[in-house]
Amino acid sequence: MNGGLLLAALGTSLLAAVVIFLLPERAFRARTGVNLGAAVIKLSLVAWMVWGLRLGHEYAVAFPVLEGLPFVLRADALGIMFAGLSSLLWLFTTVYAIGYLEDSPNRKRFFGFFSLCVASTLGISLAGNLFTFLIFYELLTLSTYPLVVHRGTAKALAAGKVYLRFTLTAGLVLMIGMVALYALAGDIRFGQREILAGLEPEYQPLLVGLFWLLVAGFGVKAALVPLHGWLPRAMVAPAPVSALLHAVAVVKAGAFGIVRLVYDIYGIELSAELGVLHGLVAVAAVTIVFGSLRALAQQELKPRLAYSTVSQVAYIVLGVGLFGPLGTIAALSHLLHQGLMKVTLFFCAGNYAEELGIHRIDELDGAGRRMPLTSLAFTVGALGMIGVPPVVGFLSKWYLGIGAIQAGMPWVIAVLVTSSLLNAAYFLPILGRLWFRPGPDHGVGAWPGERRLGRFETHAWLLVPTMATALFSLMAGMLAGMPFSPLEWATQVTNAEYLR
Amino acid sequence: MSVSSAASLSTEVVVLWLTLLVPALLGALAGCFPPRRMLPVLLIGAPLVLATLWLLHRVSVSGEFQGTWSPGGLLLHWRLNGLAGLLLLLTQLLLLASASYAVGHRQTFAVAERAYAGFWPLLGGLAVALGLIWVADDLLTLYAALELMGLCAVGMMLLPGKQEALVAGMRYLLYALVGSLAWLLGVALLLGASGRLDMAGLAANAAPGPVTGIAMALLAAGLLLKAAVFPLHGWLVPVHVSAWAPVSALHGALVVKASFFILMQLWQRLVADAVAAAWLLGLLGSLAVLWGGLQAWRADALKQMVAWSTVGQLGYLMLAFPLLAGTSAAVASLAWQATWLQLAGHALAKAAMFMAAGNLVLATGERHLSGLAGISRQLPLSLMTFGIAAVTLMGLPPSAGFTAKWLLLQAAILAGQWLWVAVLVAGTLLTAAYVFRVFRFAFAEDAPHHDVRVLPAGLDLIALLLALSALALGLGAEWPLALLREGGRP
Amino acid sequence: MSLLGELVAAGLLVILATACLFDRHLFRACLAFLAFALLMALAWWRLEAPWLALAEIVLGALLTGMALFHALGRLGEGCRLPPRDHQARPRHQSPVRWLAALVWLALAGLAVWELSGNSPLVASGEVSRRPLLASGLAIMALGLWAFAHHLHLLRRLLAFNVLGSGVFLLLAGLAGPVVEVQGLILVGLVVALVGSVLGAALLGRLYALDGRVTLGADRDAAP
Repeated sequence: MNGGLLLAALGTSLLAAVVIFLLPERAFRARTGVNLGAAVIKLSLVAWMVWGLRLGHEYAVAFPVLEGLPFVLRADALGIMFAGLSSLLWLFTTVYAIGYLEDSPNRKRFFGFFSLCVASTLGISLAGNLFTFLIFYELLTLSTYPLVVHRGTAKALAAGKVYLRFTLTAGLVLMIGMVALYALAGDIRFGQREILAGLEPEYQPLLVGLFWLLVAGFGVKAALVPLHGWLPRAMVAPAPVSALLHAVAVVKAGAFGIVRLVYDIYGIELSAELGVLHGLVAVAAVTIVFGSLRALAQQELKPRLAYSTVSQVAYIVLGVGLFGPLGTIAALSHLLHQGLMKVTLFFCAGNYAEELGIHRIDELDGAGRRMPLTSLAFTVGALGMIGVPPVVGFLSKWYLGIGAIQAGMPWVIAVLVTSSLLNAAYFLPILGRLWFRPGPDHGVGAWPGERRLGRFETHAWLLVPTMATALFSLMAGMLAGMPFSPLEWATQVTNAEYLR
Repeated sequence: MSVSSAASLSTEVVVLWLTLLVPALLGALAGCFPPRRMLPVLLIGAPLVLATLWLLHRVSVSGEFQGTWSPGGLLLHWRLNGLAGLLLLLTQLLLLASASYAVGHRQTFAVAERAYAGFWPLLGGLAVALGLIWVADDLLTLYAALELMGLCAVGMMLLPGKQEALVAGMRYLLYALVGSLAWLLGVALLLGASGRLDMAGLAANAAPGPVTGIAMALLAAGLLLKAAVFPLHGWLVPVHVSAWAPVSALHGALVVKASFFILMQLWQRLVADAVAAAWLLGLLGSLAVLWGGLQAWRADALKQMVAWSTVGQLGYLMLAFPLLAGTSAAVASLAWQATWLQLAGHALAKAAMFMAAGNLVLATGERHLSGLAGISRQLPLSLMTFGIAAVTLMGLPPSAGFTAKWLLLQAAILAGQWLWVAVLVAGTLLTAAYVFRVFRFAFAEDAPHHDVRVLPAGLDLIALLLALSALALGLGAEWPLALLREGGRP
Repeated sequence: MSLLGELVAAGLLVILATACLFDRHLFRACLAFLAFALLMALAWWRLEAPWLALAEIVLGALLTGMALFHALGRLGEGCRLPPRDHQARPRHQSPVRWLAALVWLALAGLAVWELSGNSPLVASGEVSRRPLLASGLAIMALGLWAFAHHLHLLRRLLAFNVLGSGVFLLLAGLAGPVVEVQGLILVGLVVALVGSVLGAALLGRLYALDGRVTLGADRDAAP
């Protein structure tokens, strides 16, 4: 048992938040130093724990809050996987945000809550029971609100209102479900699946009810249809915040909650026995198709990406719902893959908006020549989303398909194919415009708002993280067989889940 | 005064009575020589807090202390158990915070010298009264302390001397006086029925019957009036709107809670099993949660909003009555812990919120919410404090409000009393609605620039510390709750 | 002491209370209150509670009276209040107040009835306290009505004082003049005095500030 590392990792970003709040607004260099330093330290701490976990070390810390209800932090394979993803992406997103917000007001507030947000995400991934999970889950809601309304325009404030309405209600629903579960069975640490499985059969209807209550609570953040309404509206936030919402923290926290619920609280056997998995698959399938259809209808870049998220995150839920190891591998690896690809896409969208003032898709004509590197990254992300090898998205869909057959739900394949076609339908035209249409440079007018932000095609702080995440998406697909690749890690976790 | 207890005149007893009575002396002294700086106030007040901590430690080691004293043939009782000790600690902390804040308040805000000097003896009186209420174990001491508290509170509310403060104070005075007569009549009936004034004797002698019921109804009416529980809350909001921030902080945090504390003590001893009456109180509390929340949501002025929020939050405390009456031991234990945790969390957070609101109003000179537009850039710390306090009020983690709500929900679910679950949900959403209204104004970027007055750093710091302690109480609830589980429940 | 003497004293108390509360002429009402308080002191004396009688004379009659006359402007310097009260409470505010007062009264009456029927204290031949109880109830009723109905702050203060005296009488009538009762009444007298002084001072300030003698827009529901 070694809790120091856990507390240090969590404390790093909390401390960073406090220090940033204490620094004056104009202390740009010091704030950048704290931001990057904390991100690097945290990433190395998490990496250390990943290594330690491989060697068989245990990391856990607990103290009582209420009678019989402790606050537990514990690093298990699943949690550390999510922690690794969020720490890695945080580093890139921080670099990107520093470049993106250059010379804009309220940076102190932004980065303070940014750090708090990441601390909550780490807490969510390392939480050892539902109570601790809820604490960080709600903290995440609170710390993202100032980021969503950061611009302070009427539209941003309205989006923040909708965001709170959805997430706070969901938090309450979640809390009621958790309290009821606690009242029924006491404190359940993640992984103690035998507790609920050991309950008398007459409690099963109640368990089904609580399952759906909790899924509804998580489903809001995971943007499952019909609880997805906040996500497209939150697009008014600055690009790094969108990246955070869609790839690193909020949406992922919801999906991760569902993963925890099915695998570590109910257990996959009990969930199958209760018959809730079919329902989960159905909800996911509806969300996948609906999200893709809505994405197709969007004429602006960021909303299209937002609806794409709605659809892609549901892949994770779909994988969870497929009873069997391959479905699990697909769900867990997609948790990571989607994060890498989506963060790349949002970085690119931010780059286009910052450098060229492009928001609408039809303004992208010829942008590939003006910003080749960004467009390359965008192409990698988009192809991954469609599922073209060798980008990682292909792997997720492949495993989902096989998992569906294994689980005896071949109709899911149809959903996957439909979704892939729709993905292609809304991403390929963008790629076509980027690379094959003539741009304004050839005499058809000008970019909507061009700024020369740096020596390269755009500011280096914006370009480097974009390229890095694109590279990661590509590598994760090509080197999927190597140790510590997302797929390999997901397989490890799955083996641990099913063999126990 | 002759003090006698099990262990004769032990150190603990001396320390207890010194902690209880010294504030009066300090208050009188400060009235003659009004303090100009925060540090001396903090240094002089800190030993009281430390002494209370030591007393709590002694209570946790050797259990409850009790004793009697007999002025002029009367036999008066007192006791110090875990609950009383914790409330005493809370009181000392808030008094210290409020006293220091008042010094800083005067440095920024032009206050008449006489009014400022008058604040201190009243503060001392309030401290003594609150301390006595926590430790008193008979109705006569409680009556005297309750009245002392009420009159000191009215006096403090009148200090601003403006016309609206005077009208509000006059209404408060009339309400408080009538409330105390209802209380006295209830005491008269109890005394006539059982011939006893001490709590233990009352519990043993009072036969369940119409007289005890009526007496309890009158006592409850008086106390509910003083605790501003719906529908007897009419006096509360105007009083807070015009009062000084440190006074509002103390009043919202402690004074209304003291009446609730007495009601709970009496109820548990006299009519613990009256389920219907307990449900009535619970329903009143639910209406308070809804009405207070709605009014806070509609409020135009910042302090008005905070005051309405007090009305709503007091309703949560009333839910304890139905959850304690005729329920299983497990439910009752949960509800008992939840109530005091909620009380403490709300006390700290509400004091912090009044102070933060006071800071915002002082710095901008704006009383209305719309006047706070775009204030996030200029007063981030005050706004942050307001936000942290609001986290506790909303019952979001990690705060005492959250932990208390968890316990309350658990008790309600275990008891199958689903109505209270709905009330908790509605209350939380309403609280979020009115709190985030402030932030929607504050985060607006297109607002005109304000001229902001620079406040002494201490003002923000005190409020921030209070708000943070309400947060810390959420995850560090084990220590106080363990003390509560050991003793305090009659 | 004879039952007849008690009856006469009790009757006088009720008459004085009525005079005090019904008179719209404020000075006369205050005078009636003074007489009422002195008679209360006499009642305490007859109940063999001399210290209480002394306290009633000093606190209840002398000091409270001074505060009231000061508010009227008859004592010391200060603005003189108009000598008569012309305020009338709007009709729509009445029902709730009436209801609250009646409930209070009914509860108290029921409890007193129960107690004087069953309690060993009263049943053991202490018939002489019956008039005390009756007058206490009657005075409480008057005080409640006046407090709920009047708008003029001075009259509400008077009503509060009369109401308090009614409660004291009930207290003494229910439990006898034991030391606990004396302690409670003593605290009650001090509270009533401080309340009256504070109220009277406030009234004076309010009248000086903007000429009001009522709370104005009085939205509160309870008495």
